[in-house]
Amino acid sequence: MVALNAGITQELKIDLATSSIRELNAELHAPTARRYEVHNPRGAEAIAVGLRDEIDVEIHGPAGYYCAGMNMHADIVVHGNVGTGVAENMMSGSVRVRGDASQSAGATAHGGLLVIEGSASMRCGISMKGVDIVVGGNVGPMSAFMAQAGRLVVCGDAGEGLGDSIYEARLYVRGSVASLGSDCVEKQMRDEHVAELTELLAAAGMDHDVSQFRRFGSARRLYHFAAHNSAAY
Amino acid sequence: MCGIVGLHLKNPALQPELGRLFVPMIEAMTSRGPDSAGLALYDDTGMHVVKDVGLPRDICAAHDIASRSGYQAVGHTRMATESAITPEHAHPFTPAPGLALVHNGSFSNHASVRRNLAFDGITCTTDNDSEVAARFIGREIARGADLEDAMRMVLKEFDGFFTLLVTTATQFAVLRDSFACKPAVIAETTDYVAMASEYHALAELPGITDARIVEPEPERVYAWSR
Repeated sequence: MVALNAGITQELKIDLATSSIRELNAELHAPTARRYEVHNPRGAEAIAVGLRDEIDVEIHGPAGYYCAGMNMHADIVVHGNVGTGVAENMMSGSVRVRGDASQSAGATAHGGLLVIEGSASMRCGISMKGVDIVVGGNVGPMSAFMAQAGRLVVCGDAGEGLGDSIYEARLYVRGSVASLGSDCVEKQMRDEHVAELTELLAAAGMDHDVSQFRRFGSARRLYHFAAHNSAAY
Repeated sequence: MCGIVGLHLKNPALQPELGRLFVPMIEAMTSRGPDSAGLALYDDTGMHVVKDVGLPRDICAAHDIASRSGYQAVGHTRMATESAITPEHAHPFTPAPGLALVHNGSFSNHASVRRNLAFDGITCTTDNDSEVAARFIGREIARGADLEDAMRMVLKEFDGFFTLLVTTATQFAVLRDSFACKPAVIAETTDYVAMASEYHALAELPGITDARIVEPEPERVYAWSR
């Protein structure tokens, strides 16, 4: 690790060609600097996971599985693609991916903002529990599966089975939807939805006409107990 | 869990480098499959198969894979879940000349398919589920199907989870099951097509930062020919 600004250690540069992931994460868990640059990630797994402090982390290159998982408070930017489960179970803070994301981006995340400037693969936002996810490109099949809370904004197209078994998450899609999953339906865009979508696009730094988006959510037929079905349980 | 890697060279100038490019790919998948490993290398004299128990690093070193040349290679690192750890149970499975299959996942109805193959006089030499898929594809090709059609038949006949990479002397093809449970990433440049379970197996390839990176969609065969 090399202090860019020796003495003050406001910034630290960590080269994964010479430091291990464990060394990186140990430093990030007890930060001695306010801002970090990570170089040569080369698709390594578990980069910058479990952060709990208000620090900035910039990762220069492609990251592997579970990058920025369980994030709290930190603002993390990946200048490259990310593997499976980016920002999984994030609680707060932000994660921005300047490239594409693999499967299960933002899985089970409770809060914070995940921005994917490129496209996300299958199961984006699976079981999301309060996170906001904004995807600049497309999302793959089975996205927002069992999504419980939070907002997913897709500026491109959505793949097959969007929002299958969805609970109360709100989905906004600008392009086409290949098909909707069970119990997911298109819903009216009311003023409050236009307002929250405008806010989310601004937070993500994306410039689109909100009138081009459609909203999707739960028909609430699947997760409410129906008395006439009681014999089936 | 298992690891899959494959490299299909489009630029003949890279052929002397095949082994040197391929060894870091299979070594990167050690954590996905530390029990055994295997590979098939293709050059103008045919397909050459190496399978053994142990770590990819040791197996590659013992056979000096880094110095090998050729136009195509597939490899597998195995974390055994359903049958014994022996060289015979390691992938790739090579049931016909030039045909190699590597598999990440598990087939739940392999016993039924194995029985049906036996009615056609096709017997497996191990109790491994992946061997059944290899012999099934081999039978379809022997009946006249091309590789892509044979792989689509896998979707109809097999239950379970799979990412498959199957190669012949001329083709390189990838297929994932309908839920795409098992990971796969493909990188393509003007020089090569490379496939791996995880991106970091591709990270050392030349020109990877400018490669077109794709995650294969469920139930779609991705194939390249030479």
